[in-house]
Amino acid sequence: MTLELSQLSEDVRTMGEVIAKRRQTTIDLVKLARQWLEDHADDGAPLRRAARSARKTAIPTEEPLDVVWPLPRMPEHFTVAAADGSQIQPDRHGAALYHLINVGSLVYRHGSGEAPQAKSEATLGYTDDDLYEHGMPVAGNLLDVRRDLAELTCLADACAGEQLDRTVALVDGSIILWVLKDLPGDARRTKIGAYLDQLDRIRRAGSVVGGFISRPGYDEVNRLLCLASLNGETKKAEEQPNPLEHLPDRAIFATLPPGARSALFVSAKETNRDFHAPRGHEVHFFYLNVVEEGQQPVIARVEVPAWVARDTERLDLVHGAVVAQARITGDYPYALARADELAYVSSRERAAFEEMVVTALLRAGIRSAPSPKAHYKRLTRMR
Amino acid sequence: MRASTRGFAIGCVVMQPEIPAFGSLVRAEGQASGETIYGLIYDVRVEDDPFVRQFIGANPPEEVVRDQRENRQVPIEVSVLAVGCGDGEGVRHCLPAQPPVTLDWLYQCSGEEIRDFTRRFDYFRLVLESRDVPTDELLAASLRAAAAARPENERQRFLVDAGRELVRLLAGDPTRLEGLLRRLHT
Repeated sequence: MTLELSQLSEDVRTMGEVIAKRRQTTIDLVKLARQWLEDHADDGAPLRRAARSARKTAIPTEEPLDVVWPLPRMPEHFTVAAADGSQIQPDRHGAALYHLINVGSLVYRHGSGEAPQAKSEATLGYTDDDLYEHGMPVAGNLLDVRRDLAELTCLADACAGEQLDRTVALVDGSIILWVLKDLPGDARRTKIGAYLDQLDRIRRAGSVVGGFISRPGYDEVNRLLCLASLNGETKKAEEQPNPLEHLPDRAIFATLPPGARSALFVSAKETNRDFHAPRGHEVHFFYLNVVEEGQQPVIARVEVPAWVARDTERLDLVHGAVVAQARITGDYPYALARADELAYVSSRERAAFEEMVVTALLRAGIRSAPSPKAHYKRLTRMR
Repeated sequence: MRASTRGFAIGCVVMQPEIPAFGSLVRAEGQASGETIYGLIYDVRVEDDPFVRQFIGANPPEEVVRDQRENRQVPIEVSVLAVGCGDGEGVRHCLPAQPPVTLDWLYQCSGEEIRDFTRRFDYFRLVLESRDVPTDELLAASLRAAAAARPENERQRFLVDAGRELVRLLAGDPTRLEGLLRRLHT
């Protein structure tokens, strides 16, 4: 064993004490935040302009900030299509330079009694065009963006194939694509545009879309409450320390009754303002307690585009479908858990794939091997 | 997962109807080019699956039950007893010189391969003498599968011949022989 646990025992004990102390502070902060939520519940309209100009601050909608919407009645038949992806990053220490994206998806038809449709689709990138973009290797964020786009395309395809118009496309995580800002030329705009094209396809198919974020760490509502407590003075909010700092929004909404959602807010992200909003996909979000009566609350964040947020029927469909899915497992959408399972590339599969690559190269007359560094890492980590 | 010249274990995920059967004849590639290792599956273990365990007693919806049965791959560990090897020209009933290649595929033998392998019974001794394996059950199951791989009019004859070989090998142990022949009959 290389991790000397005995060296850490004192630190771990202290960490436990610090976390316990922090918990008490958190309880006090949550009380303060909920008080502000109640005090400024009807201040959404005057706060809107200030929130738009403030940093990373949730933008209120027409709904009172503290409104609670109970679980809507759901139709007997509706469909949830979920997709998730995983990737093998290009590895210069490997036998060859390539990347792989594997997208798993599950189409679950509630009330049908049928087995859901499960699918895994892998895409291998190995040509120069696959491996480089504007002279940069397609790895890290560039590969993440391709994976996210592949996931949403898979969902748009699934929606196009559904007969039923009550179909919810469920994304694992945010529906705001995160693309590095320092890409050359119009590359960033093109990538986000391609992502928004898929949201258009889902909309045209008559389906709805939602991004499910488990245990969210966002603090946009927290910042809005701080701004509200300062009467919407953005300058003050920027200069003064936020008493609620580090308090995640989910803690504020932990009192939501089972199945209920919070008010809708608009995400303050720049990508949302600059790219999503002009195309009609401005991302709104709400918090949701997914569990059944008598369970400890499990608060998730759900993101939806404007055309879902502004249509009660569509919004209720996302709200109800997410809860219905989460209650199959207890607290997490079943279809997303399965999509993740279908996308996951295990270390065993990864090793088997690498063997396949080595064999294919041998057949093509190329003798290749992992780099010495990779070789020795593999040897020392085998035990 | 583990391999020796006496046998090997593989870990894989398969659909429920495709779970390999106890007593099936399988083959894997050997280390040397063109070498094939034959073996009999003597244990199929469904590994712990925490995801499925979550639904025990939870009365899941019909869609989930069918998803788990029809779509979901079951993690299993298959143990194989080596009983022969081939070099492209013929099959020998003996232990292979080397274990199979790590992370290679395991193939179910076709009817023709089963008939070819069980033309002779020299591998009986390898099975009967192995330890930590349910030898008699394994031999009976594999012989029933080998009989089923033959045309109906040849099955009886095949089992009688196999029984005769067992009588020769287990003459000193009539109780065991009787038990094995009974299993073969059923």
